[in-house]
Amino acid sequence: MQGISIRGVSQAFGAAGDARRVVALEDATLDIPAGELVCLIGPSGCGKSSLLDIIAGLAKPVAGSVTIDGEPVRGPLPKRVGFVFQENALFPWLSVYDNIVAGLTFQGVPKDERRGRADEALAAVGLEAFRNHYPRQLSGGMKQRAQLARALSLQTEILLMDEPFAALDEQTRLVLGEDLSVQLAKTRKTIVFVTHSLVEAVFLADRIAVFTARPGRIKTILTVDEPHPRAPGFMTSAKLTGLRNALYELLHDEVRRAMETGAGV
Amino acid sequence: MKRHPYAVRLGVIALLLIVWEVLARRFGNPLFVAPPSATLAATAALLNDPAVVQALLAALGEIAVAFAIAVAAGVLIALPLGLSSFWRGAMLPLILGLYAIPQVTVLPLFVRIFGLGPPTKIAFGVTHGIFVVILTVVAAVRTVDPILLRAAASLGATRRQVIFDIVLPSLVPSLFTGMRLAMSGVLLGVLLAELYVSTTGIGFFTQAFTNAFAPAKLFGLILLLAAIAIALNEAMRVAERRLGRWRENTA
Amino acid sequence: MQIACIAVVFGGWQIGSTTGALDPLILPPLSAIAVQLGAVLRAGSAWAAAGVTLAELALAFALAAAAGLLAGFAISRSAFVVRVFDPLIAGLYAVPTILLFPLYLLFFGIGPPSKIALGTTMAFFPIVLSTIAGFSQVKRVHIAAAQSMGASAPQLFWHVLVPDAFPVVIAGLRMGLVLGFLAILGGETITSNAGLGHEIVTMAESLEPAKMFAYIVVAVALASVLNALTSYVEMRGRRHESA
Repeated sequence: MQGISIRGVSQAFGAAGDARRVVALEDATLDIPAGELVCLIGPSGCGKSSLLDIIAGLAKPVAGSVTIDGEPVRGPLPKRVGFVFQENALFPWLSVYDNIVAGLTFQGVPKDERRGRADEALAAVGLEAFRNHYPRQLSGGMKQRAQLARALSLQTEILLMDEPFAALDEQTRLVLGEDLSVQLAKTRKTIVFVTHSLVEAVFLADRIAVFTARPGRIKTILTVDEPHPRAPGFMTSAKLTGLRNALYELLHDEVRRAMETGAGV
Repeated sequence: MKRHPYAVRLGVIALLLIVWEVLARRFGNPLFVAPPSATLAATAALLNDPAVVQALLAALGEIAVAFAIAVAAGVLIALPLGLSSFWRGAMLPLILGLYAIPQVTVLPLFVRIFGLGPPTKIAFGVTHGIFVVILTVVAAVRTVDPILLRAAASLGATRRQVIFDIVLPSLVPSLFTGMRLAMSGVLLGVLLAELYVSTTGIGFFTQAFTNAFAPAKLFGLILLLAAIAIALNEAMRVAERRLGRWRENTA
Repeated sequence: MQIACIAVVFGGWQIGSTTGALDPLILPPLSAIAVQLGAVLRAGSAWAAAGVTLAELALAFALAAAAGLLAGFAISRSAFVVRVFDPLIAGLYAVPTILLFPLYLLFFGIGPPSKIALGTTMAFFPIVLSTIAGFSQVKRVHIAAAQSMGASAPQLFWHVLVPDAFPVVIAGLRMGLVLGFLAILGGETITSNAGLGHEIVTMAESLEPAKMFAYIVVAVALASVLNALTSYVEMRGRRHESA
């Protein structure tokens, strides 16, 4: 498995020649080997979510291409790519269990396998006791865990996560981040993770792609040399603090620039 | 590429009119259908017919009277209900129960009581409009901003002052909403009664045109009535928007 | 307190009848009404009339629902088309539909078909408007999630669009049924040869007020049942509305 290859991808909204055309992403190039967790971080409006949509085949770029395992991405790849959304994408009219089964049905998993996979996924995120609950009965953290379970059940080699913990309080975020790290160590998935949180990025990522303000270009790539699963102690280590500070330096000016140009902040 | 929904809408309407014209002329039995051109001519003719105009004006008058009564009586009934939870608990379920009865079933009864003339139509219009006014105003009285009431109490306002200087003025927006809804109801009630009574008024002409197989005239009459209905509804909507909104001059 | 009020009204009515204060041709004694109610129910004439009315309603609702759901869904597929048609339909809805009844009488005659046409027209509007609204407000993220998981177009329709739009559409269907019923009763009252409305008018004109009230009671009962049933279905449909 060769991983994800992003070559010169650009994304813009609005017609060409229109004065209000917005170039969200410009010439993004990045290679993500299999089994790596890469974080995309940058100020609002810098195109990180757009890039994720393009990798997932949910949107078409205006320039450049994405290949997964050597094959160009032309549309959703349900058997290869799982997506966890920032807003709650659980279907409110289905229970947690039925939500997972719905995903398996869409992907085309044979009926007799669905129950087993759903049970596994629920166990992986620790929600077995809530399998029959409806999303409105769950807390924010549990809803995102359920969404993660749905994505995990699809057993895709790649997992894309668009600020999945953004709506949660910081403590819940940190705990879920630890769980994610454990999952990663077990399954060796390739994960692309968009976040605004500096600490979250350093804690989770093998590499961090730092984006500039709009139009978003990849400014730098930081490497975090630390094995998964990340020990809880890593959170309070000097190494993490050092990397976090470096990240802050890189981002600070970009965020200021984004605020001044009014780009989505 | 920007497209204008307004223009497309006009285009759709124009297209429908053309299709109607063509189909009616080629395939339509003139006893049952009339093309737009014939309808327009018939409408003009109707407006020149004093008997028809009189019927239309009579209906308009009935609507006006029924509306006035519905609103006035509705407010008078709603105020004490809104202010007193005792009477509200007693009367509201009754009122809601009455409101739930399909009023058209008692139309023949109304005719028996009030006869075949304008009083029936006015009465039927009133019953269609009054409930909405009562329910709207009761709800409005109950939801007077409690902060205003507390302010009044702290300033030592008497009950009378509270009612006249705080409750009544704060009702105005809801009153206009209620009036708009009441107009729709009154319109429906008066039209139903008019159509039912076939000895005079609108009902007489609709039956006459139907029996004479004169679809152009029938449709022309309907268009005139529809125009009246739309005009009245629009007037109410504009009134609600202009007069029913408080200018933000309070802290 | 409410019971006291009802008791006062009915008591007053009965007293008024026995003392002759109330004109028996307009407001007959409650006892007479009760007798006639039993009579028409046993004789089957009430059931026959109710049957006609309900049959008209069933057909009208079926037609209106089919047309409204299809048209509403088709229109909802494009935001531009919605902007073109939604104000048009809402504007037409503002005109009292009963105005079309004389035309239907001319075209279909005085029998049930003209009532069915009226009922269909009346019910169509709330159904199509709510279908447009329901399918237009399906959350994008639900569609994106389903697509990312590999949902085919039919799967997307049945497993995402329909459940998401369901509460709004069902509310519209309910309004259509109730308004259609009222429109049909109105049509039967104005001009007809069968149905509950027609019976009420016949009894009024043949000076049989007690029987007229009996039929009114049947009509009101029917309306209440219809209302309760549709209310229940709508509530079940809203069960999963997320907070």
